[in-house]
This record gives sequence, structure tokens and C-alpha cells, in this order.
Amino acid sequence: MSKKLLLVLCLLGLALGLVPAAAQDKVQIVWFIGLGTGGAPEQREMQEKVVAAFNAANPDIELVLNVAENTVARDTLSTLIAAGNAPDIIGPVGSDGANAFGGNWLDLQPLVEKTGYNLTQWNEAAVNFYRTPEGLIGLPLATFPSMLYYRPAMFDEAGLNYPPANYGDPYVMPDGTEVEWDVDTLREIAMILTVDANGNDATMPEFDPDNIVQWGFHFQWYGEGRQIPTLWGAESLWNPETGKAQMGEAWRTGYKWFYDGMWKDHFIPTAAAEQSDALGAGNPFNSGNLAMAQSHLWYTCCLEGSEWNAAALPSYQGKWNVRLHADTFRIFKGTKHPDESFRVLTYLVGEASLDLLSVYGGMPAREQDQDEFFRRLDEKYPQGVNWEVVKQGLNYSDNPSHEAWMPNYLKARDRISAFTTLLANTPGLDVDAEIDKFLADLQAIFDEVQ
Amino acid sequence: MSLKRIQQIWGFIFLSPWIIGFLAFTLFPLAASLILSFTDYNLNRADEIHWLGFANYMKIFTDPLVGISLAATFKFALIALPLSIILPVGLAALLNAKQLKGKRILRTLFYMPYMVPVVSSVYIWQGMLNTETGWINRFLGLLGIAGPNWLNDIVWIYPALNIIGIWGIGNAFLITLAAMQGVPTELYEAATVDGAGPWGRFRNVTLPMISPVIFYNLVLSVIGLFRYFEIPYILSQGTGRPGNAQMFFNLHLYKTAFVFKEMGYGSALAWLLFAMAFIATLALFVSSRRWVYYASGDGF
Repeated sequence: MSKKLLLVLCLLGLALGLVPAAAQDKVQIVWFIGLGTGGAPEQREMQEKVVAAFNAANPDIELVLNVAENTVARDTLSTLIAAGNAPDIIGPVGSDGANAFGGNWLDLQPLVEKTGYNLTQWNEAAVNFYRTPEGLIGLPLATFPSMLYYRPAMFDEAGLNYPPANYGDPYVMPDGTEVEWDVDTLREIAMILTVDANGNDATMPEFDPDNIVQWGFHFQWYGEGRQIPTLWGAESLWNPETGKAQMGEAWRTGYKWFYDGMWKDHFIPTAAAEQSDALGAGNPFNSGNLAMAQSHLWYTCCLEGSEWNAAALPSYQGKWNVRLHADTFRIFKGTKHPDESFRVLTYLVGEASLDLLSVYGGMPAREQDQDEFFRRLDEKYPQGVNWEVVKQGLNYSDNPSHEAWMPNYLKARDRISAFTTLLANTPGLDVDAEIDKFLADLQAIFDEVQ
Repeated sequence: MSLKRIQQIWGFIFLSPWIIGFLAFTLFPLAASLILSFTDYNLNRADEIHWLGFANYMKIFTDPLVGISLAATFKFALIALPLSIILPVGLAALLNAKQLKGKRILRTLFYMPYMVPVVSSVYIWQGMLNTETGWINRFLGLLGIAGPNWLNDIVWIYPALNIIGIWGIGNAFLITLAAMQGVPTELYEAATVDGAGPWGRFRNVTLPMISPVIFYNLVLSVIGLFRYFEIPYILSQGTGRPGNAQMFFNLHLYKTAFVFKEMGYGSALAWLLFAMAFIATLALFVSSRRWVYYASGDGF
């Protein structure tokens, strides 16, 4: 009996010893999800399917998922990196989320050259979006251009024509005259569309700004605030050559336009109004009490009903500057398996991309995949949304990106947020003076690490 | 092995879950944070850790946000601390009055907000205090008063925080009420015989007899002030707005350590917080010898 027991134990020990040995033959690649989209339960099934398909086709690699809730993903990833357990693949993540871990991304260029990977499958500009001083730190997956969401019924009620359906088209005023669709025209139209409880609009002398029931325009969900002035031009608050904090005239003008829109012309809701029940407690355009909003394609996540359409954004000094968000996967710089990680990465942005994008909601970076994507969106919004203008927007995307990296990124971003919050909450400011103060603080934040 | 020895071993075995938990989750992190406070440990650059000596503690004196956050805490305390003592005593006295009808219902009503989770109550108050559509400003509007911008004005934010904070006094109120109900009736009878009126009885009998409970509430309130975090964090979405008026010390600490990942400096701030809370509590205990009455004669 005891001999049999000994034999069983020996066999068991041998089996246990062999299992890790067999597992060691496979390279394990950990894919971390949570910094951007991908953490929702309804997205996990598709991601697990993609992982299973990869593992079945690649016996030498074991792809493993590590999914964190978005709210704790940054802390989780920081802890994993600090503990020496960093994942190999991270994403999908946008520029802003990736900037929080700036300096941690692998330059893909040597791997592209080593494997002869074809980058021409994408638009060159889309690839260049990921070329940074750190190298090529991503491959295109999904893009989210911004556009002008508007509510046709409000225009009809005010006797106004709709905003232009294409970039370059003029705006037709109620009297039939054609004017340039620029930020001045937008302001004029937005004021007509801003209405108080007595039915007066913001252009009328009897308009009561304390009792507004409908607003004309807003930068829907403007993040920490760099999204706002991008309509006026593409800028970065950090000059990489001089290391100085900077703000050009275009952004100064944009911030002042935003401020006056809230506190002087009243067509943009203040922070208090935005958080009120009248504007859906923080989702203004969806509330049905906002006529126009600039936001990204990802806003379709949170927009109910079909009483809206998309139009071209206005120009500034004859030029369009369309904010672009782009999500993709990154490889952690310290990965022990760069070659295998690159194989996984190319699978995710290639073969598996359509499946993944069907749950992520991003416009495919590959042009040939875009029609199918919009066909699916048409099922959700049957009113016949002008998706063409979304594609057109890619031609005017902001470069440098409004989400560009800065030194001491998290602190700098926090200071930008404080500046924007100040504008959105405080009447009677000298905006120029506040900008100067803001830039001085930003410089001090940069200098902490420069 | 003697029975006593066996009992000692079993005692330790039963205590071991707590001991292990204390060592792993309290003592070790405490020691780690003390060591980290002398380094530049950053969670995003964990492999670049350097010994800084007292540099983080010196930085506290040059960090403008430390002064701002302490000032915010002090300004808030000016209203919050008296309120946290006077209001529970006042409400308890009211509900202890013989003439009052519906005491049980009132007691339940006053205690109930304490049961509401902080996050939910902050969101409710955010709506109530909204400048545009909040019920408070609407009510003030009916009286012809233009309501203030409660949550976005650097002056009005402190009254707003205190209004929200009043919702949390249910526990202090209940403990004070229990203490009042425990005051021997003979003492009131003796005071009445000596010619004391209602105020005299309250001043000379009730207050001294419930002073240990007032002291307890005071110590908890002072520690709570240093730990004040959830409400300003939710209201300002972590920004400390308006104009850093809600940048309480704990919020500054949280952002330094867990948003900017500067664990070294964050640890130094945490130890400063501990030192301040410890000194304030110690001062209260020392002062309690002069004003807290213990029937048993045992003080601190």
C-alpha cells in the first residue's frame, strides 16, 4: 500500500514538474487593458475571443489578458511597473493616457525594419501621428475626429439654415447671403440659438442671462482644457526646442472667445449651468437644450435619440483645425520579449482590428474598413447622419496634437485643468493676465524636471 | 508543557490573524512610508530611486500648496469645529426636553442622513447648491434674494461645505443625547432646590456631566478635519477649485502621491499630517484636565 502511495506521489511530482517545463516553452505576453476603452464587461467577450484566436494560431506564444477598471487603471499600471511586473502590451490608449507614462514606450521602428512590416497600409499622416522624439511608439488603430453636432429642430425653430455639411462650404444666412463659416459666424448663430425663459434670444436687449433655457454652443467634454482653443490653431504649451511654456495668439484668442461666450455673450453654458439638470447634469448636448456642440466621434457613446446631425467645424482665419483623438496599443519599453510582443501588436492592429473596433467604437484608421464601421453606426442612428464630414475632418487634424506630451505631464495637465476650471467658473477675469500667470506656473512645473 | 504555556500559545494562535494583518498592512506600510519620505521614489520611475535625506521635509516649507492647503483647512475649521460641537449638544438638548412631542421620529430624522453614503449625499447637495437650478437658490429667489455661487466662489464654498457637513452630525448627536439621558435626575433636583433655572441647570449640571462626550466629539472632529477629503474631492473633481479653496491638506497629499505618483514627497506630507494631528490631539488631552469632568475622578 505504502509503495503504491509512493509511486502515485512520484508520478504526481513528475507531472507537476513537467507542467511548468511545458509552459516555459511558450513565451507569455501580457496585454493590459483599462487606460482607455476596453474595460467594460460587454467588451471583454470580444477581447477574449481575439486572444483565444491568437493563442490557437501561435503555439509558441501565450497571450494573457489583464483587464483593469478604467478608474483604477493608471494606479494599477503604475504599481505593476513599480513592482517589476509590467505588462508587454498596453492599450487601447489615447495620447493623453499614454502621456501619463511617457518614456515607457518601445520604439517600434527597429522591429518594423527587422520584420519588413508594411506601414503603407495606412495613410502616412496616420503613421506619423505616432512618431515622437521617443521614436515610432504606436501603429494606427482607431481615430476619433471631432465634428459639429447640431440639432436641426432648433435651427428650424429659429428660422436658421443648418451649418455647412462640408468643409469649405459657406453658411447661408436667413436673408440668403452667403458668409464664411468661421468662428465669428458660429458665435452669431449661437447667440440667436440661445434663448431665455421669456423666449428672447441672446442678441436681444431684453435677454435675461440669469434665466437661460437653451444654449447655442459648447465644447462638449473638453477634458483638461487644451481641446478648447484647438479650433483656432494647432499648438503645444511646451516648446521642445527652448523648454519654455508658450501660448500663441491663436490659443489666446480661443480662450478669450470661450470666456466671453460664457460670461459676456452667454451662448456657452458656464460650469454651473453645465452641471445643472437643465443640461443633463454634465451631458449638455444630450439634454436637448443645446443647439451645437463640438465633440469627437466617441461622443456617439453617450448620445441618445436621433434628432441630431453632424456638420463641418468653423474655420479661423481661413484655416480649419480639427481636433483628433487616436487610440492604439503600445509596447512597454522594458518588455523581455519585444519580438513576440510586436507579433501580438501587429495582430491586434491588423487581423483582429475590425473585431476589436466593433466593440471599441473607433473609426478604423484603415480607409477600406471605414464603410463597414459607419454602416453599423447607421443602424444605431437611422436619421442619416452626415458621416462624410467626419472623414473630411481627418484632412485638417491638429498637428501638434492638443494632447501633446509635456515635461512633468501629470502636474502640467493638472495646472491646465485648474486654469480652465477658473475660466468656466469665474466672471470678471482679466483673461490675458490669467494666461500670463498660468504660463508662469506651467514653466515652474516644467522646470521641476527639465 | 504547562497548561499556562499551552494557553499562551493558543492565545497567540487566535491573535495571529490580527497580528499578521497589523504587521503586513499597518506597521510595514508605516515603516515603508517613513523610509520612502527620505527618497525621490516615483511610481512611474520606480527604478530611479535616490536617497534625498531631509530634502522632502525641506520642500514642505517651499511648496506653496502646503500653505494654501493648511489655510483652507483652517478657514473651514473656523466654522466646522464650533458647529460640530454646538449643534449636536443643541439638538440633543432639544430632543431631551420633556415638553417636546414626537421625539422618536425627530431622533430618527436627525440620525438618518448619517446613514446616507458620503458620495451620494455630495451629489445630492451638488444639485441642491447649484447656482442655476439648485433648490436653495430657488428658495432664496422667491424671497427676492440672489443666491450665491455656492460651489464656485472662494468665500461661499466654506459655508457650502459646512452645510453639507451638517448632514454628518447624526452620530455625534446620538452619543451626546445618550450622555444627557444618563445624567442622574437627583443632580437636577438638587440644582432646582438650590434655585437654578433651566439655563443654570444646563450650564452647571448638564454640560459638566456630558463634558467627556463633548471632549470625545471634539477629538474626533479635530482628527476628522485633518483627514477631510471625500467631500472636497468629489465636489471639485480632485482639482481643489475654486481657486484652490478646496485644496485641503489631505487632497494635496493624495494628488502628490497618487495622481503625480511622487510617493517620496507624498510620504513626507503624510508624516507631517500625522505630526499635526498628533500634536493637536495631545494638546486637547492636556487641556481636558481643566474642563472635562469625570465622576470617577479618573482623568487622562
